[in-house]
Amino acid sequence: MNAPQSHRATLLSESAELLSQQAFAGDQMVMRLAASRIAERALPGQFVHVDCGQPMMLRRPLSLMRVDQKQGWVELLYKKVGAGTRLLAERQPGETVSLLGPVGNSFQLHEELSRPLLLGGGVGMPPMLFMASNLRRLKGFKPQVLLASEVPFPFTPEPSSIMIDGMPSSVIATMPLLDDWGVPARLASNQGFPGCFDGFITDLARQWLASLVADERSKVEIFACGPTPMLRAVQELAAEFDLPSQLSVEEYMACAVGGCAGCVVPIRDGDGVAMKRVCVDGPVFAGEQIIF
Amino acid sequence: MVDQQTEEGSLAVDFCGIRLNNPLVLLSGCVGFGEEYTRVEGFSNRDVGAICLKGTTLEPRLGNPLHRVYETPAGMLNAIGLQNPGVDHVVRKILPTLDFSETRFFANACGATVDEYVDVVRRFDDSPVDAIELNISCPNVKAGGAAFGNDPEMSARVVEACRAVTSKPLITKLSPNQTDIAENARRCIDAGTDAFAAINTLMGMAVDVAARKPVLGNGQGGLSGPAIKPVALLKVHQVYQVCQQRGIPIIGQGGVSSGADAVEFMLAGAALVGVGTALFYDPLVCLAIADHLEQYRLQISAEGAADWVGKLGAA
Repeated sequence: MNAPQSHRATLLSESAELLSQQAFAGDQMVMRLAASRIAERALPGQFVHVDCGQPMMLRRPLSLMRVDQKQGWVELLYKKVGAGTRLLAERQPGETVSLLGPVGNSFQLHEELSRPLLLGGGVGMPPMLFMASNLRRLKGFKPQVLLASEVPFPFTPEPSSIMIDGMPSSVIATMPLLDDWGVPARLASNQGFPGCFDGFITDLARQWLASLVADERSKVEIFACGPTPMLRAVQELAAEFDLPSQLSVEEYMACAVGGCAGCVVPIRDGDGVAMKRVCVDGPVFAGEQIIF
Repeated sequence: MVDQQTEEGSLAVDFCGIRLNNPLVLLSGCVGFGEEYTRVEGFSNRDVGAICLKGTTLEPRLGNPLHRVYETPAGMLNAIGLQNPGVDHVVRKILPTLDFSETRFFANACGATVDEYVDVVRRFDDSPVDAIELNISCPNVKAGGAAFGNDPEMSARVVEACRAVTSKPLITKLSPNQTDIAENARRCIDAGTDAFAAINTLMGMAVDVAARKPVLGNGQGGLSGPAIKPVALLKVHQVYQVCQQRGIPIIGQGGVSSGADAVEFMLAGAALVGVGTALFYDPLVCLAIADHLEQYRLQISAEGAADWVGKLGAA
């Protein structure tokens, strides 16, 4: 053997007990599973490859939303969109769900970019929550979270107790958990939800970025996960303000170990294009490199 | 399972003069270039007899546009489009990173012309791979894109030309998308193939109703998984009728997802059994399949895993 084998045994196959499964409006589900070994290793941006049960042949990649290493559980948010996720939603507490993970790379913080802006849209919210929960423990970072949804949020929005300079005064709703963590956050939607910004998440982000003095703005790095139109808009936003960005993308996936090249996305590679695997080369890529 | 490094297991088999840990082969296109599945804890390349590397062309290929994979009832469609870094990169950069003491590695050669197959095979001939699989399901650009493998004459021409440039075992991967797979096999044996892999995927399509477009970026793709198992069993059995007297072994493949499936393929005439799509559901499935084969061997008091190959009685 001539090459390092550091990749070996990095993915765990864990039979996880389903602890709870909560249904929210808009076919959204929040699932908590006892998976202590995956919880121990998981990083924000990574996902688990979930066996939805027979007769589905392919697992479904679901981002990790919350991870409790002490209690040994992981929490996932997903939407019932197809046969697999509908089947998964029928699983009951006490049942065992097979997980493969943690899969993929993760979001990388940079000390000098101390004002991370976290943007999560729809089922792209989970990695931002995971990241926020880590950031609250890291000294020196001053994160700002924005979440967006076009269906009711999978939590009950409440007015935030944290004031944020540069936010429109009517935009006051937040996710209570983030408030509890002391992480400033606001919500956006085009559905007219009370206290939320009425428009796209990137428009709210633009207002906030524009309100920062140049020195502060130069410390911003954008992290985002969400539907492709949102990520495309985030890419444009980052270019507009000349800010670095890291985006988590998704694509239909089969193996999740890098074996089949089914889940690739086109990535700028020097002067050319490379088809990179979302599962093991991603799911997080430098924003400016992604070709949407 | 027995530790293959120190002791040969009871399922060890011979294939074209090569000794394999057991009759299981990880299939081309499912396992990258041989190291990908070792990411999974508990998975070892030692637990399979051979690994067939990803389809390789002369030049690098980006592959097909998205989407490339889609689940269908009891199976999936794929249209990857032979994304690979080209044979030179594979031989110079990837093969040296593989641990050939753990298992056997088979190359998978692809081409758009007979000349390209020959060039790729020649390159692999001068490399440590243990055998070369010919993926004759590629479109023949000089015949309007019809797959080489769907026509016995074109299949045999590929085999004959490649035979001339390598002494390594040649495995011809047969397509189910043709009228008479046995006739194709006969021609390929005459042209010099050492073994067959049967079957490749069945061509299929999925429709996105909302977009009124095919789901796959390539329009069509190959169907794999349990859905194709009965088709694969029949094709293996048909090819076996041709191979039996000539001593040509078959790698039976198509929807194998359990030990029971593997036994069925072996009874139908497969010397080795290929596992592909099932890995996506259970990355550790080969351990269970090998255990089942060992149980079956003990149950029928067989000396080795070759003993029940082709032992299917008449209906």
